[in-house]
Amino acid sequence: MDIFGSFALLLAFVAAVYAFAAGIAGILTRRSLLTKSARNAGMAVFGLVTLAVGALEYFFFTDDFSMAYVVAHSNRALPAFYKFAALWAGQEGSLLFWSWLLSIYAFSALFLNRKKHPELMPYVGVVLAGVQIFFLLLNNFVASPFHVLGAADSSGAFHLARLSEGNGLNPLLQYPEMVIHPPMLYLGYTGFTVPFAFALAALLGRYPGEKWIHITRRWTMIAWGFQGIGILLGAHWAYAVLGWGGYWAWDPVENASLLPWITGTAFLHSVMMQEKRGMMKVWNVWLVFITFMLCILGTMLTRSGVVSSVHAFAESSIGGWFVGFLAIILVVCLAAWYRNRDYLRSDNQLDSLVSRESGFLFNNLILLAACFAVLWGTLFPVFSEWFTGSKISVGPPFFNKVNIPIALFLLFLTGVGPILAWRKTSLDALRRNFTWPLTGGLAAGAIALICGFRNFYALVCLVLSVFVALTIFSEFYRGARVIASRDHVNLLSAAGELTMRNTRRYGGYVVHFGMVLIFIGIAGSAFNRDVQSEMAVGQTLSIGPYMILCQNFDQTANNNYQSDRATLEVFRKGRSVMMLYPERRFFLASQVTETMVAIETSPLRDLYVVYAGRSPDTGRPVIHAYLNPLVKCIWFGGLIVALGTGLALLPGRRPTLVLRPVAEKSWEGAAAADGVSPARVVARRTDGHD
Amino acid sequence: MIRRPICGARLSALLALLGFMLVCVAALPAQQTPELTPHQAARAKAISLKLRCMCGGCNDTVGTCNHTGGSFSGPCDTAKAMRKEIDQRIVRGESDDLILQDFVQEYGSEVLVTPPAKGFNWLMWIAPVVLPILAFVFVWEVVRRWRRHAISLPEGPAISPELLARARHEASEESHE
Repeated sequence: MDIFGSFALLLAFVAAVYAFAAGIAGILTRRSLLTKSARNAGMAVFGLVTLAVGALEYFFFTDDFSMAYVVAHSNRALPAFYKFAALWAGQEGSLLFWSWLLSIYAFSALFLNRKKHPELMPYVGVVLAGVQIFFLLLNNFVASPFHVLGAADSSGAFHLARLSEGNGLNPLLQYPEMVIHPPMLYLGYTGFTVPFAFALAALLGRYPGEKWIHITRRWTMIAWGFQGIGILLGAHWAYAVLGWGGYWAWDPVENASLLPWITGTAFLHSVMMQEKRGMMKVWNVWLVFITFMLCILGTMLTRSGVVSSVHAFAESSIGGWFVGFLAIILVVCLAAWYRNRDYLRSDNQLDSLVSRESGFLFNNLILLAACFAVLWGTLFPVFSEWFTGSKISVGPPFFNKVNIPIALFLLFLTGVGPILAWRKTSLDALRRNFTWPLTGGLAAGAIALICGFRNFYALVCLVLSVFVALTIFSEFYRGARVIASRDHVNLLSAAGELTMRNTRRYGGYVVHFGMVLIFIGIAGSAFNRDVQSEMAVGQTLSIGPYMILCQNFDQTANNNYQSDRATLEVFRKGRSVMMLYPERRFFLASQVTETMVAIETSPLRDLYVVYAGRSPDTGRPVIHAYLNPLVKCIWFGGLIVALGTGLALLPGRRPTLVLRPVAEKSWEGAAAADGVSPARVVARRTDGHD
Repeated sequence: MIRRPICGARLSALLALLGFMLVCVAALPAQQTPELTPHQAARAKAISLKLRCMCGGCNDTVGTCNHTGGSFSGPCDTAKAMRKEIDQRIVRGESDDLILQDFVQEYGSEVLVTPPAKGFNWLMWIAPVVLPILAFVFVWEVVRRWRRHAISLPEGPAISPELLARARHEASEESHE
């Protein structure tokens, strides 16, 4: 069976190489049969990698402890759920998982477009195959997951060895979210390959028209959505499992996952400049390229041990491969751009500084500034060691100091941008759109100030959040009111109708609203409190409005772990609210202790209790309690972002919203061709950002 | 865990041992964490947030370390030792700067959560401020150039003012839908 898996992987590699070579040959010789066979080979990679993944899962489920990877990451007592997830618990398996997801994307992109864009798809196939070759190269020859254990007997002959038990899965990963978080994040990382392939293909093939940018936008949004969900699930996992009371530590690997998400966000905005106005073509292509390169860089940071991180794939020699691959991508991108730079000639013109266009320009500027700051802080220890020879650390204070002002400015633009009209916004419209939201925001700030909030950044964040939320609501309200009065329906269903008509625009607003909630949740961390204390049965500890009474300490055990558990009763205003059971688990297979946090969550605040173990001085149990305000807003906001992304991906109900850049035809000509009045053509084109 | 019954002789031996241990503990006051005034404790906390836990297994500060796996999860042994040292030095009356300096002497500049803005490391602080400003100037220049470009372009096929007014009217109506 291990031969089967290795063989499937090798065949997948061969198929990818064939897809790459035959694809190029097909493009050069213009033979459609060759192109078709290259495409089929590209799709076959998916089947072959699936077989390899199936083989590895088979070893996990049959507890085959002759496989090195299974021994390292599983044991008999592991629940089936986690045996499945053990596939991506280590370097080799997660790289295989990576190739698999990439092959799913490549298959979907090739299959869905098999009858479309005959001029573009061969190039796309070649780029996708090129990326697959790299990862399959790693799977086959650098980090194969199908290594078997061997041992030499007394005569020196080599035999297969089979252990009776494995080391078990890292206990930190034995948590339901850990089964979802890595796949989501990987779906994000690998997903950015598809927009990259389309952008590079369009550039290389000088594909006429703007069709490729629509395709690229959709795929980017899918990858972006997964990446965002993955990041938030990781944050939630860190919060709920690691037991340090926070969710984001600016760890290099966390930062690495954030970088492509930020540039992806920038692209999703600036792409509208190209669709609507034919502007910024070079910039957009480079944003897609940079996003993909950041994905590869992130993968490298996670796996090479270049920067020290808590995400322990580190200490392997695989980094060099990624550096080489990154260099190749950069050279290919530069060459493709340089040779075809006239293809990207844009129609850049700006009518007014107060316009949607300039809003997008500054949005991109700010996002790229944030991306740079995070990348800079992440890599600076490496630079510093190169240049000065001394090791330094760059910790959360740096990232917070730099990114908080940037993020707040971005929040401000989130409110301003969508109300600005394309081309030019009149002063009158500005006043009409801004007065109420701005007043609302300032009023909220004033109330908070009176109530005694003195944290500057948190106050600014509150004012801006209310401002942005109100602008979003007013956009929905104004649109819904018109529909409601025309169709005689209530406002809520009118808002639904409005959203379904232009899913992209209103889905985008929903995403913005989710982001506002996330900002509020993060600002809440300015008011975190914590207290740690030794406790005996019958003793109490108070934090904020809560009082915690220690009722009992007990021990339980199963095949997988032994557990030390505290039973705590939580009182609020003298009334018993609930019981909490923070735990410490000692995992038998891996001999590692983990904390299980108990969280009493409410919309306004989380009471977060950790059983920190027994004090070495006195032997008494130590309880560490945190009061974290507004954390729930972050998770709820994440849900709304996901919902909004899904909405924006739905096709809009109004067929007239097919986009055309204004410069394509003259107004009168277009009107004559479409058979509608010139006025209506103008109307379509000035209509918001759909 | 299985508890075995403890017989009388063993019990007395155990008690003797316990008594001995108590005496030992009492004789070693230096091993105990010193008592800090609330002000001193706040200082200790502030310092512990500026220092990185040097156990090598985490990226946390000494103050927030909750690295699991030690005998006492909460702060790991390294962080705990570092905290104790901070406390003792504060009780001895040393200044914050002196304490931080001594930690740098012991572990190298890696022990600071963020490097001081001196020498090469100054670049780290200055780049995220200067580069966005340069980028801002660049974008501003681009905007100006695009605007000039727009003005110099001919206005396309002529549109009568009435048509334009009607178009604007319908546009605003439709965008309000």
